[in-house]
Amino acid sequence: MGRIVLKDIRKTYGAVDVLKGIDLEVAEGELVVFVGPSGCGKSTLLRMIAGLDRPTTGTIEIDGVDVTARGAADRGLAMVFQSYALYPHMTVRANMAFGLQNTKMAKAEIDARIAEAARMLEIEPLLDRRPGQLSGGQRQRVAIGRAIVRRPTAFLLDEPLSNLDAELRVSMRAELSALHDRLGATMIHVTHDQVEAMTMADRIVVLRAGKVEQVDTPLGLYNRPANLFVAGFIGAPGMNLWAGRAGASGFTLDGGQVLPVAAQGATTLGLRPQHLRLDPAGPLVAQVTLVEALGAESVIHADLAGGQKLLAVLPGQPDLARGASVRFGFDPGHAHLFGADGLRAAA
Amino acid sequence: MSAVGTFLTRRRGGDRWDWTDIVTFLWLGAGVFIMFGPALWLVLSSFKSPAQLSEFPPTLLPYEARTAVVEGYDKPLPLFVVTDDSGTRTLAEVRRVGTIAQMVDPENPATMERINIANRTPDRAVGFSWGNYLDPFLRFDFLKYTQNSIFVTGVATLITLLTNSMAAFALSKYDFRGRNTVVVLIIATLMIPLSVILVPLYSIVSGVGLINSLWGVILPTVATPTGVFLLRQYMLTIPDELLEAARMDHASEWQIYWRIVLPLTAPALAVLAIFSVVWRWNDFLWPLIVLSRQEVYTLQVGLNAYAGELNVQWHYLLAMTVITMIPVVLVFVFLQRFITAGIAGTGLK
Repeated sequence: MGRIVLKDIRKTYGAVDVLKGIDLEVAEGELVVFVGPSGCGKSTLLRMIAGLDRPTTGTIEIDGVDVTARGAADRGLAMVFQSYALYPHMTVRANMAFGLQNTKMAKAEIDARIAEAARMLEIEPLLDRRPGQLSGGQRQRVAIGRAIVRRPTAFLLDEPLSNLDAELRVSMRAELSALHDRLGATMIHVTHDQVEAMTMADRIVVLRAGKVEQVDTPLGLYNRPANLFVAGFIGAPGMNLWAGRAGASGFTLDGGQVLPVAAQGATTLGLRPQHLRLDPAGPLVAQVTLVEALGAESVIHADLAGGQKLLAVLPGQPDLARGASVRFGFDPGHAHLFGADGLRAAA
Repeated sequence: MSAVGTFLTRRRGGDRWDWTDIVTFLWLGAGVFIMFGPALWLVLSSFKSPAQLSEFPPTLLPYEARTAVVEGYDKPLPLFVVTDDSGTRTLAEVRRVGTIAQMVDPENPATMERINIANRTPDRAVGFSWGNYLDPFLRFDFLKYTQNSIFVTGVATLITLLTNSMAAFALSKYDFRGRNTVVVLIIATLMIPLSVILVPLYSIVSGVGLINSLWGVILPTVATPTGVFLLRQYMLTIPDELLEAARMDHASEWQIYWRIVLPLTAPALAVLAIFSVVWRWNDFLWPLIVLSRQEVYTLQVGLNAYAGELNVQWHYLLAMTVITMIPVVLVFVFLQRFITAGIAGTGLK
């Protein structure tokens, strides 16, 4: 239960293409995270799966059944909204019961389900309060509880953690993951926070401008980004992407420095800041412009000859001053190569 | 009492009275007088007898002439204080001929005195003519009028709230072609006064046979553009996510309206209810046209009956005006906190 298949989903508002043909399969019990910059269509896609919006073309299947024409209530899904959307005039208990009452469920069964969900989420003392009397984290739990009691085939979470403060977000992230393990239900989680995506997801769907850029496991995305966008989007600080051209001796940067990387046909070389190291014999010569010392590690901003920027994350607290000329080295195996079309070069 | 004293001696701060304190109290006092003076004057006058109402100069408090039962006379006789050469004494008037009144001393009814009316003043005490209030109910049909008014006001307000909120719900929460045109059309009808559509409206009401029926008063008034607009603007502030959550929760569109949107619109509904009660209760022109039989009169139309072409029965008119004011005052006393609560916040966030 809970296998969701999207086939060529397109959505246009007037002349604007919001989604440009999305194909995706979400396996049963999987936690899939949609991630992408603002306006990439991730929330729209989620709303289409929920049934709150209709795609212009394309089909949505849940457990092998085409549900494209079905209303939101008849898809067996539950959604947690960004604003939680708790009914302000009802108690927590009434909020959780509302959806069940509408399906004419027996009262005893409703009470049992609410009690179970309340125990799981530790909101039992709050059941007779109203949403206005709850803190942000408590409201978040109630919103999740309202979804749980319905025993949906899949949970849809629309940026559920974005309204929480940083500390609470970290703990709720862990709780959501634990909840997913316990329920074993399919979850689709939308976020613009890549850390959230990396820590929670079984698989991540990276979206940009209405198209799927890459679908892979978190480490798969990190280790083998399929294109320049994913390479720059995943990982913090962002990957160094240097333009240049491939030659017989290696990859020549626009500034003239030659890197010992076999790179047929590549026009961009990507290197994560964490993979750079100080190396007196290294091929990269750069002038330090800024040192951000974080204690455990230091972020070095530097300029390469030719004006390209270099970002390096070095362990510890290296003794570097602004203006110093430094040589960096790296393991050629860590280099990511991209062709003129922006796609990962075969290597 | 000490609370009132504390209130009335409040100052801006400091130990002494500042000139701004005095100006403030004078200004507020004038405001209280201007707003409450006429109402107080109305209430006090409503307890005066017809003779006292036509008196000049007028008195603030209602007075009643004192009377005494005198031996040998069937009816109680009015008492007067007489001051002349024989001193000051209280006598009862038996009859009056021209400027001379025949009066007797209640203690000594046998001797009749002839007194010039210039030498006497009525002996009066503060007293209330309750008859002004009782007669319209006991001897005239005001009880029926009141029932009619309550029925019209109550039913019209209920239907107004229901239909206006349904229209507002559709116009605020559904996106359909021509929605804004409909909204503008509804608001545009605010510019058309009743007198312009009086005749066609009358033909319609008469055509469906609602003349001389209370429904003829109720139905044409329930769809108010002000109400639709007020509720729509309020409903626009209810987040759409709530409705979507309800839709995910298997709620039908009716349930979304009835169980989610309507409870959240309560502050705006209270405001509209206040308006509607006041409008319908005070309605005069339209009921006057539709209702021509006494038994379906509303209070306002019934009041009009006391203002005849030749003779205005001010004492009844004033008393019944006070009666008609009471519900409106009560509505404001009990519902005004909803207005302030509605402004203060909806509890949404």
